[in-house]
Amino acid sequence: MSERRADEQIIESCQRGDRDAFRHLFETHKDKIYSIALYFFSGDEALAGDVTQQVFLKLFTKIGQFRNESEFSTWLHRLAVNECLDEQRKRRRFLSFDEAFDVREPRDRRSQEDFVGRGEISDSVQAAIATLKPKLRIAILLKYFDELSYEEIALALNCSKGTVASRLNRGHKILARRLGHLRHTFIRGE
Amino acid sequence: MFRRHVIKELSAYAHGELSAEESQQVSAHLLQCDACRMEFDEIKLGIRFAESLPPRPAPPSLWDGIESALVKNPAPAPSSASIIPSQPSWLAWLTTPRRVTAYCTLLVAVGSLCVWWFYQRPARAAWEVARIEGTPTIDSDRMDSTGRLAIGEWLETDEASRAKIKVANIGQVEIDPLSRVRLVETRPAEHRLELERGKLHALIWAPPRLFFVDTPSAVAADLGCAYTLEVDDRGRGLLHVTSGWVALETPNRESFVPAGGACMTQPGTGPGTPFFEDASETFVKALAEFDFEKDAIDALNIVLAESRARDTLTLWHLLSRVSDENRARVYGRLAALAPPADGITREGVMKLDKEMLSRWKDQLEITWAEESIPAARKVWRDVWK
Repeated sequence: MSERRADEQIIESCQRGDRDAFRHLFETHKDKIYSIALYFFSGDEALAGDVTQQVFLKLFTKIGQFRNESEFSTWLHRLAVNECLDEQRKRRRFLSFDEAFDVREPRDRRSQEDFVGRGEISDSVQAAIATLKPKLRIAILLKYFDELSYEEIALALNCSKGTVASRLNRGHKILARRLGHLRHTFIRGE
Repeated sequence: MFRRHVIKELSAYAHGELSAEESQQVSAHLLQCDACRMEFDEIKLGIRFAESLPPRPAPPSLWDGIESALVKNPAPAPSSASIIPSQPSWLAWLTTPRRVTAYCTLLVAVGSLCVWWFYQRPARAAWEVARIEGTPTIDSDRMDSTGRLAIGEWLETDEASRAKIKVANIGQVEIDPLSRVRLVETRPAEHRLELERGKLHALIWAPPRLFFVDTPSAVAADLGCAYTLEVDDRGRGLLHVTSGWVALETPNRESFVPAGGACMTQPGTGPGTPFFEDASETFVKALAEFDFEKDAIDALNIVLAESRARDTLTLWHLLSRVSDENRARVYGRLAALAPPADGITREGVMKLDKEMLSRWKDQLEITWAEESIPAARKVWRDVWK
């Protein structure tokens, strides 16, 4: 049985209300969605958990509307993108002056400290990702956590492939510039 | 080639998202354009940083919250075949025959997926290796006539063995006796070997800056070429380019070496100044002394006095490696051998104006590209002694 066909059967089971199928779908995709949310929200584990739950709740409550004309993964990613951006908008209303001008402090200091123990580079890359504008950040996360093609990212973000290419290009350049001081350590440390 | 710069296409190029024709155009442009090559290096670095982020597992407790919410607000029109109970009792729920059957089905499905994954998962990235002679080893195991070198594995040759490595689909590398190399990375945007000691001959037909060789004192970045690179037991290196260009670089220093040229490199100093193999023995010895010994002003005097028109390769690199006072002398000699074009001023060069230096280099490259006289490798062999 092809992977696509297996997915279709699980989705059909979900549409019939089969909780085991829900659980299977959740287990298959939870780590990717959680990672995207975690890095989107600067390592805030509690918020990433909330967002992941919201994504799957929406997925399960709306799964009856899903038609197989589109890829399930595209649909799931679009839900994740919308949830992250919506949450970002909600939180933006309460941002401080500094945050509004991109001089951001980590929102969850405990999580940030936790990352330090896992190596300076990973910590620095995460911090640099967190400073990207949301549209660049989400494009980078979709590319590197789900290995999506530009076309798949474009579908998830509801934009053109050219826009995806441009956002990734800008994101890569910003990362390289902000982390340039780690170039040597990074290359040698691999 | 694209007349316009290709900066906007570089991420798509690195990710293999361009058509074959577009990709060819970008590579042709990269070969010619320093600015876009620098930009490409930056994009690739950004990509490597992004790729380094580890995925994080979701906490197991997340499902509990989802399930509670689902119980309160049951999902879509459930069929009679599998309805979420309105009053969940975990024990009853777990032990109903229907659930047991469902679990068995799920178990079989998961098992099937595991089997499918085992056979369908991408093979660990590896390069094909062919034995040329003797008994090369891969991670200490003697190889047959052919073998595969995976990321992180070492290929070693003894005094009687040689091997040939196929570098993905972009070229090949021959490994000489008494060498030790490791495959560091192989991805569409980057292929990287480490040469710990010994000697290799690389022939690469890919776009520039896709193939790299790490050595203890510098990185050799292929710019579309054929070259020989050797490293001795003290980590010192010697690059000899037979076709195209190679950049020998560290984070702080870069030497561009064209066909017929060579460059030494040494731990602690990095790449020395490149030179043509047909330069005089006196010139090469003095250059090595200037590059790797302290206070070698006399050596600089010899280099300046011995330099010919083709040695502008060396003089151009020296401009940014000498003190202000000596820069004036290097400029004087370089300008005498190859007067700078309009718009390249002494003041600008003295201030190391990047655009002027780049324009002067473009002008000089015409003379560097002339066919080289067969190499007098003896010169630097003596120098190394």
